[in-house]
Amino acid sequence: MPHLAESHTLVIERNTRWEGEFATEPAETAWAREAIFFVRALQLEGALAAARVRVQLSPDGMHWADEGTLCPLPGAPGGLTFCRLTHFGGWLRLVGSLPAGTQLRVIVYLNLKG
Amino acid sequence: MKNSALLTDRYDPLEKVFFFDDFDHGLNGWTGLIGNYEDSLESVLPEFRDLRPPQLSNLTMWDTGTAGSAFGTYALKLATRPRLGSLAVGIKRQTFRHAARLRLEAYLTFKPEASQLRLSALDVRAFGVAFDLQDGYGQADGLRWMPHLRYLNAQAGERQGRWQFKAQTRPLTDIGGTGETQSHFHLGPEGWQDVPNAQQLTCYNEITTKMNWSYLRVGLDLHTRTITDFQFDDHVFSGEGLGVITLPAMRNLWCMLNTLFFVETDTDQRAFLYVDSVLLSGEGA
Repeated sequence: MPHLAESHTLVIERNTRWEGEFATEPAETAWAREAIFFVRALQLEGALAAARVRVQLSPDGMHWADEGTLCPLPGAPGGLTFCRLTHFGGWLRLVGSLPAGTQLRVIVYLNLKG
Repeated sequence: MKNSALLTDRYDPLEKVFFFDDFDHGLNGWTGLIGNYEDSLESVLPEFRDLRPPQLSNLTMWDTGTAGSAFGTYALKLATRPRLGSLAVGIKRQTFRHAARLRLEAYLTFKPEASQLRLSALDVRAFGVAFDLQDGYGQADGLRWMPHLRYLNAQAGERQGRWQFKAQTRPLTDIGGTGETQSHFHLGPEGWQDVPNAQQLTCYNEITTKMNWSYLRVGLDLHTRTITDFQFDDHVFSGEGLGVITLPAMRNLWCMLNTLFFVETDTDQRAFLYVDSVLLSGEGA
């Protein structure tokens, strides 16, 4: 019998409106070895231009540093984007900013496995 | 049983163990709570839209590193948003096989996020446990009933330190347009009443990064639809006079046995509730 990995999908934001500067709630990831952030657009007002979200790491869930990955944002309602991550330690989140006048309503999943 | 020594040393279960979750191997069926909806998430009652879901935590602190959980490495963690009144809820959904006495036991600890270098003992408004049950299938007196208990830690910056129950919920609201979906928000701030001899000051160690695990036990009787008693650390409270929320039986919830933990913040700081572990037991057939 093979050892089965633990796997968990955390709905870190659900029907959340992003505008201006935003950040997802901190997600605890100490047990996991790999992760995928999914961003699904439910509603978009305005234009995204080249907006991206940055993946951030934290040692304590309070102080954050860029991990280096840029995750694209879905450009239309129904669109889905993702970014894959490994070796991220105990916390993950997404941060970003949208152009003035743009609102994006999203559902954000963090799929963890380890 | 995956760890019988842990079970018998740490718990006093009734005859049958229904579940025993220590969170070192996942969330064991504990998930987030959302209100009912039809067609769109916009149809969810506002208070139900952003209840924060459970995560697995190893209790890592900025100043002392990883503490681990009560009996291992990981615990179930509920974390609110950093917004006054934000709630986080974890729920496990099961059914029961026969009306019996039930006993829920857990080890838990609560703290605010350690984002400020001060005591912050009044940042967490409350934590609690609730059940959602329905019995009486095929009988005239079928009933949905929802025992709720909470520890009101603070309110508007004032220390409270007392246990409360809740016997009222808001009216059922039709959701969507089909007539098939209803919803009611039962975790609102209104309607909580003090249990007799409600006062208890729990162990709140001197800074926000020191967690002490407390023991919680809640007894239910499915025959009488009552809370029989409950215990937190060395305080034992009678269930006498503790009302429960009741609703007319709904057509599709028979034998439901849901268990919820929740935590609520009283400030614009995140409130955390950690649970490790939790055991539900009951009388045999």
